[in-house]
Amino acid sequence: MYTFEKYKKFISSAVVASVVLMSTSCNGSNDVEQKATAEPAKAEAKPAETVAAPVAPAAGEKGIDGGAVYQTVNGMYTSYAVNEQEKKDFTFGRAPTATEIAAWDIDVMPDGTGLPEGEGSVEEGDELYEEKCAMCHGDFGSGGKGSRSTYPTLSVGEASIDSLTHQRTTPDADGPKRVIGTYWPYASTLFWYIQSGMPFPHPKSLSDNETYALVAYLLSINEIEIDGESLDDEYVLNREKFLKIKMPNQNGFIPNIDGPTGPADAKAFYADPNNYGNGTRCMSNCLNGEKPNIVRPMNIIDDFEPPMSTERMLPAENTEEAGPVHPGKKLYEASCAVCHATDAMGAPNLGNKEAWAKVLDKGIDKVYANGISGVNAMPPKGGTTVSDDEFKAAVDYMIESSK
Amino acid sequence: MNKMTETSQVLDTASEKMSVEQSSRRDFFKKAAVYSASAVAATSVLAPVKLRAEDDPAIVEEAPWGVKLGDPVSKNKYGVPSPYEHNNIRRTTALLASGDEYASISMCPIHEQEGIITPNGLFFNRVHGGVAHVDPKGYRLMIHGLLEKPLVLTLNELKRYPSVTRIHFIECPANGGPEWRGPQFNSVQFAKGMMSQAEWTGVLIKDLIADLGLKPDARWMLAEGCDNSEMGRTVPVEKVLDDAMLVWAQNGEALRPEQGYPVRLLVPGWEGNLNVKWVKRLEFASEPFYAKEETAKYTVLTPSGKAIQHFYAVEVNSIITSPCPEKPWTDLKKGDLVEIQGLAWSGQGTITNVDITFDGGDNWVEASLKGLVLPKAWTRFSYMYRYEGKPLLLASRAVDDSGHVQPTIDQETAVVGVEAVYHRNSICTWEVTDKGVVNNVHIRKV
Ligand code: HEC
Ligand code: HEC
Repeated sequence: MYTFEKYKKFISSAVVASVVLMSTSCNGSNDVEQKATAEPAKAEAKPAETVAAPVAPAAGEKGIDGGAVYQTVNGMYTSYAVNEQEKKDFTFGRAPTATEIAAWDIDVMPDGTGLPEGEGSVEEGDELYEEKCAMCHGDFGSGGKGSRSTYPTLSVGEASIDSLTHQRTTPDADGPKRVIGTYWPYASTLFWYIQSGMPFPHPKSLSDNETYALVAYLLSINEIEIDGESLDDEYVLNREKFLKIKMPNQNGFIPNIDGPTGPADAKAFYADPNNYGNGTRCMSNCLNGEKPNIVRPMNIIDDFEPPMSTERMLPAENTEEAGPVHPGKKLYEASCAVCHATDAMGAPNLGNKEAWAKVLDKGIDKVYANGISGVNAMPPKGGTTVSDDEFKAAVDYMIESSK
Repeated sequence: MNKMTETSQVLDTASEKMSVEQSSRRDFFKKAAVYSASAVAATSVLAPVKLRAEDDPAIVEEAPWGVKLGDPVSKNKYGVPSPYEHNNIRRTTALLASGDEYASISMCPIHEQEGIITPNGLFFNRVHGGVAHVDPKGYRLMIHGLLEKPLVLTLNELKRYPSVTRIHFIECPANGGPEWRGPQFNSVQFAKGMMSQAEWTGVLIKDLIADLGLKPDARWMLAEGCDNSEMGRTVPVEKVLDDAMLVWAQNGEALRPEQGYPVRLLVPGWEGNLNVKWVKRLEFASEPFYAKEETAKYTVLTPSGKAIQHFYAVEVNSIITSPCPEKPWTDLKKGDLVEIQGLAWSGQGTITNVDITFDGGDNWVEASLKGLVLPKAWTRFSYMYRYEGKPLLLASRAVDDSGHVQPTIDQETAVVGVEAVYHRNSICTWEVTDKGVVNNVHIRKV
């Protein structure tokens, strides 16, 4: 299921993308051929409906967002002059092939469009989660500490929407809980997002079966039931069962955007500003004789990076900027920081004296060797293809910055 | 640009800083020495010899930059700001991140914003998987789904389509979002800096798809990025056929990587998140897609427990940027005539009026709009004020041409509560003390 080669490939491509220009196209999918045959292009799968084609709003009409809409009049679009010559029959580009569409069209919709065949158990998902997700999202999806704040919580251990009416109008009130089981309307979003966006440092590396397993695990810790059945360790999720999932908060969203009248329903909702709040243009005596009630900050946040200043002066002599840059710094930032900036993944983190002292107990040569050949969750050379010397320079940089 | 020139450019910047600093220091010490010795010397033979107490050395003395050659024209192949401007920068705070710096936001220094165009290097930057670096040669755009003729374009082919250039802001709907329950930042950069404005160039999508045979049941379009997060959002076809664009240029040059180089979606006036960066795919469908950023996030939870989804436009809004906590009135004396300035904007239309209050919202006067007044664009407002050194509760309120008025905090929370996270557009008040210090406060009952 989990192959190291694949892991390496995605690590290194993520790394490349973050520093130098990416030399390939945006195609992140790995098994294009297979998908092309397994899944027909989506457009054909959808039934045609007999409704009027959507058009741009006419003059004087409000837009779908409740706002003004502007037309080109006498060659002017508001303050912009417009070339009104006919613009059609363009000849650029070509049609995509079925394989190309299948490679990119991996989104999954609530009705199951785009959901591949496959299966995975809660237990397999648990293992995958421990290996690839827990370092950021915490045990049982409880959220974990990142270098700046906490990574998203994926479960609060219940599938109830009861907290969604909570409002923190008093300092000690409990707020609403917005996680998968308590908030997300559809499980399709979970499958799609995990496969295209997670794990965060090297996405698009999970197979269909792995994604099924992870979704099964996340649904189980969120205490979601499928067709009345709770998801114990042995539960195997597949496409058929997936299509039976009903999320607790499916009806928790307004306006209704589904079906042929979806856009019109949205338009009606936004045409009424009382649905989202509007002011009044009162000019005098607006507080009706009352004094304005002033609320001052309780906890000012001012840990700005860099600190606030509006001074016009030459920058302070910055030793880092002026002095020679460590030869390993660039590689560290580009390829190692993803894992070594914090201890979230179990890597000795930059600046952590103790952690590095412990690593160095075994002698620097062994440390180099471990890094080059890989050890536990540390991929060989951190997933890069740099020379041994370049790699060692990055190790030196981390060691020197952690003294 | 090859490595060599890139490196030498960076070095140039560094040496420029050093040379300015060294020369000014050297001259300062030289002059200081001369003054302390005799207090009569002037470096210029043209200037009056004797410096009196009321004479400003900045005028009477020759400045170092006036008596030596400046840089050769060949120096910066790509110009950089004066080193004295190094504090005009984007800033971040640990709070505004989903864990680390790759799913986070940097704030635009709107307290330093002049006019209505944000310089490209200062445009706020929100990412969900880091800033992607896309090779334009490897870039492809695919348009497919409910169309007779799906299409693949290279970047060069896309740029062959007729272009339009328009000025629009982009605002993250979480702008001001940390302050639903009370003020948190004594800074306009952090209270309102999740927005910027540029002049964008690209193709109207309606022109791009005119020949592609959009099917009658195509009601929605997915726009998806090619970055690490592959972020996607559902856009109603009505917007696509109105003013939505695919843009490749920003203020006259290619988009910055932070803004989606080489191509991003621009849906004027709508939530920043909908303006998908690094866009690779447009898929037309009959039903909405329910992407992560339109379900788990970017939905507005109201007190009823129901959340507003597909909340497209950011609503009418305004902020006074002069004065503001970063740019207070502490240097003013009673009787000074000073301009109050700020930005007003609406994703639902064009700004028609801005009013100003000095007493926390009891009485209002109308300010002037100034400069360009464009749809779905930042519009400057201005009010001339005779400073009296009295405490004020200063605020602005904008009105747009679609009948929307910027609400008070209480008017807004009465409808959407305090757990909405997104789309906070209520009136912002500055408390100006008798010393001219400016603080962020809320005028609210709940
Ligand atoms: C390096 C840290 C990291 C790792 C490892 C990681 N994630 Fe994430 N995850 C994130 C971040 C950061 C976000 C928020 C991204 C954003 O802001 O769009 C996120 C968001 C999510 C979300 C959406 C949460 C919400 O409520 O919006 C899900 C679901 C998720 N991750 C699942 C996974 C799974 C499954 C794995 C393992 C296969 C995984 N993640 C691995 C950092 C990580
Ligand atoms: C995918 C995450 C990841 C990346 C990327 C990564 N590391 Fe590591 N690294 C780890 C983890 C996890 C460990 C701890 C391994 C253990 O001891 O269990 C580690 C350990 C190490 C060690 C200590 C080895 C020892 O002997 O204990 C060194 C040295 C090291 N990494 C160097 C690097 C360098 C240099 C880079 C960049 C070129 C890099 N790493 C990139 C995850 C990573």
